Order: sequence, then C-alpha cells, then structure tokens
Amino acid sequence: MCSDGRSPTLNLAVPSEVGMIYLDNAATSFPKPQQVYEFMDAFYRKTGVNPGRSGFDLCLVAGELVDETRELLSSLFGATDPSRVVFAANATDALNLAIFGLVGPGDHVVSTRLEHNSVVRPLWTLHEDAGVSVDWVSFDSRGYVDPQEVIGCLRPNTRAVVMNHASNVLGTVQDVAPVGRACRERGVHLILDASQTAGVVPVKLDALGADIICFTGHKGLMGPMGIGGMVVRENVEIRQTRAGGTGVRSAELRHLTDYPYRMEYGTPNLPGIAGLHAALTWLRHVGITEIHAHEMALWQTLRDGLAQLDGVTLHGQDPGQGGRIGVLSFNVDGFEAADVGTLLDVDANIACRTGLHCAPLLHGQLGTHRLHGSVRLSIGPFSNLGHIERAVAAVAEIVAMRRLTESRQA
Amino acid sequence: MPFLECSGRRLRLSDEGFLVHARQWDDDVARLLARTAEGLAELTDDHWSVIRCIRRHYLARRRAPQVRAVCQETQLSLKRIYELFPSGPAKGACKVAGLPRPDGCV
Repeated sequence: MCSDGRSPTLNLAVPSEVGMIYLDNAATSFPKPQQVYEFMDAFYRKTGVNPGRSGFDLCLVAGELVDETRELLSSLFGATDPSRVVFAANATDALNLAIFGLVGPGDHVVSTRLEHNSVVRPLWTLHEDAGVSVDWVSFDSRGYVDPQEVIGCLRPNTRAVVMNHASNVLGTVQDVAPVGRACRERGVHLILDASQTAGVVPVKLDALGADIICFTGHKGLMGPMGIGGMVVRENVEIRQTRAGGTGVRSAELRHLTDYPYRMEYGTPNLPGIAGLHAALTWLRHVGITEIHAHEMALWQTLRDGLAQLDGVTLHGQDPGQGGRIGVLSFNVDGFEAADVGTLLDVDANIACRTGLHCAPLLHGQLGTHRLHGSVRLSIGPFSNLGHIERAVAAVAEIVAMRRLTESRQA
Repeated sequence: MPFLECSGRRLRLSDEGFLVHARQWDDDVARLLARTAEGLAELTDDHWSVIRCIRRHYLARRRAPQVRAVCQETQLSLKRIYELFPSGPAKGACKVAGLPRPDGCV
C-alpha cells in the first residue's frame, strides 16, 4: 500500500467526505468518480430540459447526450444498433420489462438458484398467476451452475433462460456462453442479468449468446442510482406491458413499436443518463480490465485473510475455479450475520451487507437462511489494501469476542 | 400467534417473540421478555440504561435508534451491549425494550 493510503494498482484517492471503509459495492458502488458528480450537476443545471420533446436547441443538446450514452452502452455490450439500448430505472425494472414481455401462459423458463429477487419474483409471479413452469438449476459447492445442466432443462416450450452473469452473493461469474449457444440454436431467449458484471468484466451480446442484457447504472458502471436498462439483440421483439408518452409521433394512439421507444415510457431520467455518460467515459479512461485486476488482487488478500480465521466459513470462495468478481460472502460461528455487520459498522467503521441479499433460493441451497443469511464484503475501484487489512483484522476481533464469551460461559 | 402472560395480562407476540403492541410495554414486561427471550435472570443498571435509551428513541421517532447512538448515549461499548444482550442490540435489546422487530434483508 502506498504511504498516502492509495491503492497500489489503481491509485484512486478516497474522497475525504467518505468517512468509512466502504465494502458494499455490490449494493451500489461508492463513492462515484468525481467527474460523475460534477458532470451531473453541471449538465442538469445548464441542460436540464426534456430531451427530444420540444424543438428548441437546448432540447436537441439534451437529446444528443441521451443518444451518445446509448452509443457508449451499445459499444460496451457489443450491440450493433444503439437504438436497441433501452433505458429503465434499474436492472429490476429492465428485467420486469423483458420477462413479462417475453414469457406468457403455457411457457417454460429455466433459471438458477443463484438469482436475485429481480428475477425470482417476476418468474414466481408468472408461475403463480399465469401457470408458467420454471426449472431452478442448482449451483455446485464452488458457486457455479453447470451450463450443461441448464441446457438439459430446455424443452420444446421453453421460452427463455433467465440467469445472472455473476452471483451478487458469491461473486462467481457463470459460464454463460454454452447456454447462449444452445439457446440460439433452439430459438430460446437468453435474458442475462448483468447487474454485478456490467462495467466489471466483459459482457457482450454475441460472445455470450444473449438476446437481452439487463444492467443497472449504479454498480460496476459507476453511475448514479435510478438509471439502468437493457440491450436487446436485433430481431428480438419484446411485447409491451406498458404504454405512454414517447415525445415523438404523438398522433399515434398505439405505443410505438420501434426501439428504443418501444420499451421506454415517459420523460427519461436525464440527470441519471448524464451521470451514466460521465461514468462510462471515466470507465473507458481508467479501464475495466485494470479495475477488475485491482479488485481481484484485493479479493485474494481478503479471501486469504479470512480463510485463516477459525470460526469463519467462506461461501463459494475457492480461488482459481472460474471467473470471479470482488464479492465475498461468509459467516462467523456463533453470530447471526446481522450482528457481524453491526459490529463491523459500529466498532470498525466498515460498511457491508448482511442478510439474504435478495437471493432467497441461494441462501436456501447454502443453508444460510437458517442463520438469517451471510455477511457480504464487496470491493470497488476505490477500495484499497488498507481497507482489506482492516476488514480482516475486524473480523478476527469478532471471532475473538465470541471465544471470550464462550470461555466465560464454560 | 404466541402470547406473553404478564401480571394478569395476555400480550400478543410476533412469531419471532417481539411485542406486537409496543404501548403495552412496561418494566414488568421487560423483565419477563428478558427472562424468557434472552435468558437474563435479572436486569442490571446497564441493561436498563440500554433499554430506556432504545425506548426513548422509539417513542420519539417510531423507529429503533442507530446502534452508534445507543453506544454514545449509554457510554457502553458495542461489545458490552452484546455481553448484556447476547442476541445483540436489534434482536435482543430492542425485543426487551418492547419494539417491533427491525426490518431488514432477511
């Protein structure tokens, strides 16, 4: 670690107003690059008009920023047509649009037990309300789903495979490409939840065989909350489950069917899009590969440090077993997860996430639902070696605290 | 739904043992909850300090206080609060103080 507290690889200084060790980047990355805050503020003050709605010049300037952001995202996700980048409020919003717009009565869907409730709940709703049948494929002890097992679940009436690219609890990046190839051969839609991987590892439509990639702007993409969306492959036509204003061709009483209007409704989140634009520009400058290398070096230190502590159980954290992101989940013997989080917060000033992480099927398979979930530490670009060393030391103190209590009771 | 019998009253508890109607709480209820839920035979001054701090915040704002605030006001470390209430400030102390279970990601 550098003497000024900066990380040795990325050299990103943590702003002084961040008065804690923030290891909850899988919930939302924090802090954001300074450029994001500054650009959002400046753009919205000078250009905060409704993009594409009116005819004056400033409106066109705002519209250009929206278009440029679509182009940046199109490039990031390997799409060929930027108009097929659709903005939504977040990944959950985009997943709802995609799932309810593609799956209907009589359909079959394959998903996994790694999924977040942004996938589980829409599919569960379709199962209960529309008779959609769903196969939930389990993951192995390392935290990976076998792609052949997913493929083996495909049936003649399978409409879609919906799966996440990386687990928000275990941090394991799934081997999606074989599933994507099989889906395209069979005409099945692969809807990929890239909430944890967009901006963290390469996520490309054709390389993964996805028809739809859903993303959020406020995690690895380093943008603000409230902006996300999806990238839709050409010739994939999602049924509309909403309708409303598009700002263009207002005489048509039926909602427009061409993208992006097809899937966008009402005034867009311009400050959010501006922030995402600045974030994408920052990511290009710093480099996704460099950020991931930095985060994984820290993950390795964190993983090795916690693995040495008796009484700490790591979940799906075997190194060298496949793709990973900087997310680590664990439990401490004798403690509920929430108590470890409280101790980390109050005693060590470390922010983490405890509980079920909106992934009830995953914790059900791990058996950690009985402990009310696990503790998750998640690393971001602004994390540094000092943060990780302090986190390991803080967990060691919690382990020691339990031992002390047990010895007093004995 | 489980009940707690206290001084001739029958008080409703949630499935996790939290008092359903916070206004029914009093010191006798606290002692009983401490004994039945936390295994505490008696409540010391430190216990009462934590309980009254949580209760005061709850009555003022209708939510549990931040743990930091409890530590600051009571001058007790978090480790000490865990010694006092083995289930911790949320599931232990808040329960004895008659608060509903704090909502969270579980």
